[in-house]
Parts: sequence; C-alpha cells; structure tokens
Amino acid sequence: MNHDVVVVGGNRVPFTKGGTHYAEASNHDLLTAAIDGLVARYGLAGTRLDEVAGGAVLKHANDFNLTREVVLSSALAPETPAVDLQQACATGLETTMYIANKIALGQARVGIAAGVDSTSDAPIAVSDSLRRILHAASGARTAKDRIGILAKIRPSHLAPVPPRVSEPRTGLTMGEHQAITTKRWGVTREQQDEIAVASHRNLARAWDEGFFDDLVTPYLSLARDGIMRPDSSMEKLAKLKPAFGGPEGTMTAGNSTALSDGAAAVLLASAEYAEENHLPVLARVVDAEVAAVDHPGGSDLLMAPVGATGRLLARQGLTVDDFALVEIHEAFAATVVATLKAWEDADYCRSLGLDGPIGTLDTSRLNVNGSSLATGHPFAATGARIVPSLAKMLAARGPGSKGLISVCAAGGQGVVAILEAV
Amino acid sequence: MAQVVLSEIPPLGAAFARAMVPTRGAAVRLPEHSIVISRVDQDPVRLAAYNRVCGFTLRDHVAPTWLHVLTFPLHIHLLGDKASSIRLMGAVHVSNAMTLHRPVRFDETLTLEVGVGNPRAHAKGALIDLVGQVRVGDEPVWDGVSTYLSSSAKVAGEPQPVERLPFEPGQPQALWRLPSDLGRRYRDVSGDPNLIHTNRLAAKAFGFQRPIIHGMWTHARALAALEGRLPDAYTATVGFAKPVLLPGTVGFAAAPTERGFSTAVTNRDGSKPHMLMTVEAVGR
Amino acid sequence: MKVIEKAYYSPVGKKVAAKAGLSEPPRLRRGRDYPRGPVVLAAPAGSTLVAEALELLGRTSESPVLDTGGDKAPGYGDRIGAVVLDATGLTDLTQLEELRQVLRPAMRAIEGSGRVIIVGSSPEGDWERLALTQALDGINRTVAKELRKGATSNLVYVDPDVTAVDLLPTLAFLLEGRSAFVDGQAWTVRAAGLEEADTVGGPAERPLAGLTIAVTGAARGIGEAIARTLARDGAEIIAIDIPPAGEALANVANDIGGVALQLDITAPDAGERIAALVAGRGGSLHGIVHNAGVTRDKMLANLDQKKWAQVLDINLAAQLRINKVLLDPATQGGLVDGGRIVGVSSMVGFGGNAGQTNYAASKAGVIGLVRAMAPDLAARGITINAVAPGFIETEMTQLIPFVKREVMRRTNSLDQGGKPVDVAETIGYFLDPRAAGVTGQVIRVCGQNLMGQ
Repeated sequence: MNHDVVVVGGNRVPFTKGGTHYAEASNHDLLTAAIDGLVARYGLAGTRLDEVAGGAVLKHANDFNLTREVVLSSALAPETPAVDLQQACATGLETTMYIANKIALGQARVGIAAGVDSTSDAPIAVSDSLRRILHAASGARTAKDRIGILAKIRPSHLAPVPPRVSEPRTGLTMGEHQAITTKRWGVTREQQDEIAVASHRNLARAWDEGFFDDLVTPYLSLARDGIMRPDSSMEKLAKLKPAFGGPEGTMTAGNSTALSDGAAAVLLASAEYAEENHLPVLARVVDAEVAAVDHPGGSDLLMAPVGATGRLLARQGLTVDDFALVEIHEAFAATVVATLKAWEDADYCRSLGLDGPIGTLDTSRLNVNGSSLATGHPFAATGARIVPSLAKMLAARGPGSKGLISVCAAGGQGVVAILEAV
Repeated sequence: MAQVVLSEIPPLGAAFARAMVPTRGAAVRLPEHSIVISRVDQDPVRLAAYNRVCGFTLRDHVAPTWLHVLTFPLHIHLLGDKASSIRLMGAVHVSNAMTLHRPVRFDETLTLEVGVGNPRAHAKGALIDLVGQVRVGDEPVWDGVSTYLSSSAKVAGEPQPVERLPFEPGQPQALWRLPSDLGRRYRDVSGDPNLIHTNRLAAKAFGFQRPIIHGMWTHARALAALEGRLPDAYTATVGFAKPVLLPGTVGFAAAPTERGFSTAVTNRDGSKPHMLMTVEAVGR
Repeated sequence: MKVIEKAYYSPVGKKVAAKAGLSEPPRLRRGRDYPRGPVVLAAPAGSTLVAEALELLGRTSESPVLDTGGDKAPGYGDRIGAVVLDATGLTDLTQLEELRQVLRPAMRAIEGSGRVIIVGSSPEGDWERLALTQALDGINRTVAKELRKGATSNLVYVDPDVTAVDLLPTLAFLLEGRSAFVDGQAWTVRAAGLEEADTVGGPAERPLAGLTIAVTGAARGIGEAIARTLARDGAEIIAIDIPPAGEALANVANDIGGVALQLDITAPDAGERIAALVAGRGGSLHGIVHNAGVTRDKMLANLDQKKWAQVLDINLAAQLRINKVLLDPATQGGLVDGGRIVGVSSMVGFGGNAGQTNYAASKAGVIGLVRAMAPDLAARGITINAVAPGFIETEMTQLIPFVKREVMRRTNSLDQGGKPVDVAETIGYFLDPRAAGVTGQVIRVCGQNLMGQ
C-alpha cells in the first residue's frame, strides 16, 4: 500500500429493535443522522470529501442511489460523491475496505464508509407474476388490451412478498443454516447463553463507562441501544424456548440477533491527510480478506470468515496471539463458538487449504465491549459499528496493538480485517 | 383582538363544512377574535408521514411548513365561524410568508394562535390574511401569513396591486413528477380535505381539468429541495402563480442570493411559473 | 395556557396591566448597531481618554447641552443616542455638579435603547476621592432606574495607566446593541499595555476570527446562543454537552461549522479530553466558557446530599478541575497565554433565593473563583470573568409558573426578560482579544434586576 490508511473515528445512531423507536425512519433518515453526527464530531460541515461509500441490505428500488441522496441531505458539501455497495451483513466492513483501498492507492485522501438497515422500512415486493402482468399492461397499445391483460390478476397475485430472509439456493433461513452448524460443531446451549449474557453486560458496562460518548449520537430522542439488557442472566436466558433447530434446538431469541434498525459510519483518511487537517488518528487499516464457502454443497453458511482469517494471518505473518483484541460479529452466539472451534480444528483448517489450525483465542480478548447480540444488528451497519469501536479500544491500549474483525455474511461469505493502533 | 381558547385541535368535519359553504358577494365580515390552543404535542408518526410526502429527511427538527400544517385546522375553524363571511370554497391561496425564528424540535410542546384580518380590495374580489403564530412557552418560534383571494367577497376601496416576486424564465434544474394520488397523500398528512385536490368533478366545478396539488405541498417540496443548505432561522416568501394539475410534471430551479435562495417551480420547460419562493436568513 | 395567562393577554387584561404600569415592554436594540442619534461626550476634568477611545472606534461626538441654572433645563433639539461622561480625573465632590449639568438635559433627550456611560477613575487617593468614586456608582444605578424605553446606564472604572486602546472594546460593547440587557452595572478596566487596537484579534466585526473556544452546555438555551454568537464573531467552536443531548448538539455544531464533543463535564478526565481534542486538531485553546449548569431546587429543610453534591459538582467543582488542567502549561491543547476563561454565575449567586441553597452556593462560588484566580493569571495575560444572568427567556424559564415568571420578568429596569443572546454577547466581550484589561469582573446581565446587590 502506498499510503497508510487511518481510522479517524466513527459515529452511529443507537441501534434498536425493528418496528420500535425508529419505526417511522427510513434508511435515508437513519444514515443521514449517523453521517451528520460524524460531521459534527470532526467539524466537517460544508467540507467536500473524496467519497462516501454506504449501503443497505434491505433497500427500496427507488433508493438505488441511497448514499448519494444521504450526502445531499447531510451537512457535507453537496459536491461529495458517493457510492452504494452491498455485501449482506459484511457491507459496513466492505465499504470500509473500499474507501481504505482507494486511499491506499492514492485515489482518495479522505472518505466515509457507512452502512444502514431498517427492518421497519423493509421493502415489500409485489409477486413475480403480478409484476409481469403489470409490465405487460403498461406496454399494451390500447385501453382494451390493457384491461384484458389486467383482468388476469388474481387475488393471490396481490399478496405482498416480504424481503427474503432465506438463502435463495437452499431455501433455509440464516437461523436454520446456523442450527445445522451449531449441531455439527457440538455447540451447547450454555456456551451460547454465556456469550449472550457477556455481550449484554459488556455493552452495558461500556455505556456506563462513557465508551460510546464519542461513538454514538442520539437520534429521535433515543440515547442508548434499545436492545441492550444490562440485567441479562443465564437464568433468564435458560427460560427461552428454542427458535431454530427443532424442539431439541439450542438457539433461542436470546442468543440470536434481533431484527434491528440503525446506521453507522466511519471516517477514514490517509495518514498525511489526517495530519495536515489535524484529525485524530485511532488506528491504521492493515489488511483485509474476503472469502466464501460452498454452502449449497453443504458447507457451514456462516463459517466463511474462518478461511479468510487463516489466509489473512498467513499473509501478514501473524498468529492469534498477536491480537490484543478480536471482534467476531455475533450473528448468533453459536456462530462465535463454532468459529472459535473451527480456528482450533486442524483438519477443518486444512480442508480450507490452510497449513494448519489458526489457533486458540483467549476469550478475554473477544468482543470486550459487547457485540451484535446486545447492540443489535442492522445488517449493513454492523461492520461500520465495529471498525471505529475496535479502533478506539486499540488506541487506548497503545501503539502497535492489533485487532482482528471477523464478519460473516449471507451467501456463505465472510470478510475479515486487521487494524493496528498507531 | 379577543381570544378564544380551545382545549384541543378542532375536528375538521363540521367547521370545514361550514367554511366550505359559499357565501354571496356581501361586504367582507371577519371574526375579530383569534384562536389559541396550547400544549399541542406533535405526533411523530404523522410528522414522519408528512416528511415522506414532502421529501424532507426525518430529523429531530421540523420543517416550518409542518408548523403551518398544525395551524391550518384552526384557520378553518375560524373561517367557519358565523362572524365570517369569507369561505374557503372559491378562495385562492395567492401568497404565503413564514418565518422560522429558530429550529423547532419534534418533541417540543407548542402553543398555536391564529387570526384573520387585513381585508383589502382586489381587482377580482378581496384579499384577506390568515395569520398564525407558533410559540414554545411565550417564545414565538414561527410566524406565518397566508393570503387568500376570495372572488365572492367585496371590500370598499381601490384595488391594491399585489406585489409579485420577480421571475426569469430559465432551464429547470430538476423535474418533479407528481403522481395522481399525491393530492390524497398530502391530504392524509395535512388534514386539508378540500376536494379540489383529490376529486376530478370538484376540480372541474372550479374550472380545472384535473385535481390540483395543494400549494403548501409545493411550498414544502421546494424547501425540502434546499435541505442541508437552509439557515437555522429564515423567512420563506411564496407567491402562487398558477395551480399544478395532477398528475403532472413541473420544473424546479434555485439560485443562491445574498442572504438565501431564490427559487421557482415552473412548467416543464421553465417558461412559466407555478410558484416562486425566496428564502432569507434572519438574524437571531 | 392557564386562565390567568389568558386573561393577562386578553385586551381587557392588557388595559388593566397598562393601568398597573405594566405597559408593553420596550424593544431593545441588539447586535452591533450603534445608537441612531449622536454620541454626546462630556469631560468635566479635561480628560481626553474617552475622546481618544471614541476616535479609535471611528465615532464622532458632540458637545453636551449644559444646565447652568434656571428652573427649566435647556433641551436638545433632537434625540441623542448616548451620553458618555469622562469623569476620570475628578478630585473633589463639588465637581459632581458638572455631571448633573450634563445629565439633566440629557435624561429627556436620550433615545430608546440609548446609553449613558460613565467612565470614572478606580478608587484611589484621599478620602474625598474615594467618596467621589463611590458616588459615581450611586449616580449610575439611579440613572439606570430613571431611564425609560430600554435606555441603559453603566459605569466603568479605569485604573490609572489605562489607555484608549485598553478602553476601546468596553466602550464599543456599551455603545452597541450587544450590551442591551446590561444595565446599572459597574466594572473595572485595567491597563493591559496593548499597543495598537488593530494588532490583536480579527476585524471589528469578527474579533474572534480563527480562535478556538470551547463552550459547555452548548446544545440548547443560553449555551446554544453562546456558541452561535461566538461563531458569528469568527470563533471556531468546540460545542460540548452531555451525550444524551448529542443530536441537538450535532445540529448546533453543523450549523456553525464547529465540532461537537459529547462529554460529561464531571468526568474526572473532562479537562484532558477537551485539551486532547484541541491538540488533536492542531489548534490551541483561546477560551473556555463554563456555561453548563443544572438546578435541583429544594428548600433546605428537604435538601438531600445527592441534590447538594450534584449541583455543586456540575456548576462549580467541574470547572475548577477543568481550569486546572487547561491552565497547566504542560497540557497539550490547554489555554494559551493571553487566553480567556468565562464563568456563568447567576443573580442568585449575589442575592440568594429560597429553595436554591445548592444553586446559590455554586453560583456565588463562581464569583469567588473569578476574583481569586484573576490576579494569579494576570502574569500570563489570561483573563477570567463571569456573567451573572438575571431572568433570561429560555426553555428552562418557560417552565416557571406564569405569575411568578411575569413578576420575575418585570422586576428590573428594562421591564422585560433578557434573551440568551444578551448573555452570549457579554461573554463575547470578555473573549475579545482586545479586552485584555478586563479580568476578575462579574457583569450582571439582568436589566438591573432588583435581586441581590
């Protein structure tokens, strides 16, 4: 890389459960709020940035230029260009790498990477057959033809099609896929609930310590994450019924992420730009890797980051012990447990083409200020939530501290990245 | 001016019905009292819907046109008073001016006060002003004046020429496509049930080929187009030149001025204005 | 709106109110506007200090009409904008008569929002001189009460070596609309040794151009007005408020092109975090305005430890801690030499108020802090001052019951509540790099409220 890329800081709105506090807010509204808060934090009002990259997983057709429209609503200079990207739940990390790579190559000096999702404002599509009929009708030459075509509409055509939550090629939902993985890797209910309790308690502690004071800006009078349950306990979680994997399943609503609303943004710059413009620097973006698994062929859908991690560490000559902190996105608590087990499994790692096991993680370094179970997981926002939080934690640990981010995504994909405090 | 204090925003039904009944061309009589209503909490769900229809991003601060919408039922109520000879039926919204004195948050509790007055002669009838003020506690945060032309009314005296905002034809910077259901959608968020905006027959009765969009939607949409560049306190002055038929496509152009913007909503090629608006920052 | 409030605003109520002397309050001249009418300058002892300062300001002045005898005072042909009395150099009590000769004709001629400004020598010298110095204060306070239609009177004491350059920002502040709600006040200007007015600060319209200033409690109310007013004067604002106020704070910051810092000022590292932000941005801190404050009102008989500690910590102890950090020369991003500290006290800090022991203690403490720290900071050219607002129309004061609020509003010489911008303008005056000779002062922005001293 020609230029060092640094994380200046970030901002997000508090995340919350879909259909609650932000029920009336659209992706556009949420992302504008997140970016305006970031602009205020770094005094960027009226500034032209080189680029803003953002995205949403659940997107209306007329939001094709969502991020650019958000820029125009925001306090940034209207001459700031923007791009929409989407890589399912890894969108926020992929937008970070998109901007980081441009900066590294000298194509940009400063930019914002962002992600947003609103399950409250999810698009409802019309059925395939209705859409075909409507297209045909609009192409009809005469009114009579049009009426004839429209007469083909049946009540069943009118049922709205909610956004697909299942994998197109397997027909299984994310939870159903994870349930297979959970069973295959022998992840217990207790292991999952422990992760969930820790997530809530760590997040609540971080809030109480003021950790998020310069990472979150309230929106619509919501000042803290709405899903967080500081009083979460093993006893309470034990009472929940299985949600995936049948009656014997171990995955519950308590150890799976809730459908969430939220937006997050990261300010990235070249080291030179940050210095010239007196922007603070939390960490350097070191490297990243993306991977996919053959889930239609039976591989574990949410385990793609394992292969990416192994290859990334090999390229950088690093081991698990070199990381002061590790952030593994909690799509499900079981995803985290299975991922860590896979890191230690020599045979599995070799099956991915790695030389050997990745290693064993000291879990005291894992998700220390909570993760998606407690914070919520507005799909595309999660990566952009993690990057500035981890960068801030690394900065507090001193120069040279390294952190690893691992985010799984639909489609059997995963993105991992390394940050290092400077 | 005496005040009548209401404890809640009046339902629009009966008052609107009265306010809609045309009157004969008698001399103008207007209610001398104002109407005040305090402790008005803003409904965030309706606000969000309003913002969607008009093109505003949902923020913790509201648009000044939203505050106008809140005062509107009080105007209807006032014009439906038996002391009023002016009816909204047949009255045309010719101009509007509003000042946002400071940003107003969606969670602020408001006091609304409206009055009507300043009848004056016009070549085609009489002009009256519907005035409104929104306060937080005693602090005025918004003031508005809507000027209507009532063709059935008469006021003694020389007709005063109406001041027109300057217009230069020019290429529109944007085209807005207004769908046929826009009148209904704006009705639902504004509470203005005038059938001229939603019903073809009613529109025809007033000489329009098709329903016309509410002038206040056009006003709001023009402000939304300037989003992100508006000062925190400003006066927006609007002149309505020609109604916009639904469905329809209009042009929009904005040019910066010394203290704000000069904007025009025009026909598609920018040759004729539908609405002209100036925005000027005001000191605090 | 309560019944009584309705009655008050009704036409009948307004007539009753007018009969009771509660007429519509005058509209005050605000901002940088000078008085419309001419400035009349009188210097009975022949001092040229004020004349030179006026010249530096580019203002012309006229000679006074004098009342030299007879029952009927001679009049001015037209309204006058201001009377400036240069009373420096007066030595004996009989010379006060010359002040009367100037003031009597002027009292009826002064325009709405006009000004009387008395400039006297700081207390020094023999008994008679000291008595005379104090007499000026009695004149000032009474003139302020007798003036009508928003006109004000204020008194400035000047130390012996004070030059026209030192006096300039004070004179400008008093003549302009910025001092609209400052009435009946007296404060002191010291010699600052500034050479030329135009060697410090930005242009007169933007005296704070390029200077970084931190404002606490900046999301709403008076703090928001301070941030906006200082930004208008050219300052780069670090707007600080508690995290839950973040969205309003971001809005203010983006409006004025400033930086938002979500920070609880009672955090032990609050000072360090402000300094770190300044240092990180490569700047240096010109000033800090300690505006953040809370009330937790209870009669002392019901006042618990928590309410006591909270108010004292937020309103007083926090700024002491922050000041210590920012004043430490080792702190990167701390206050520069020649910097400014401004506290926000309250008239309650002078007069006390039932139900507000904790608040009064904290606000009186701010006054104490200003007076204590000023001499110690003088060597570094850092000034520390405070404003003490009276009744200011804010969201907070809107919550006061109507009758009480109306009484509080009216119990001052200007017959109305002040606006947040009035407090902000006075703070802007303290922050002006030219106001280097103003330190250790507490200026009440209260329209000469009856409460307290």
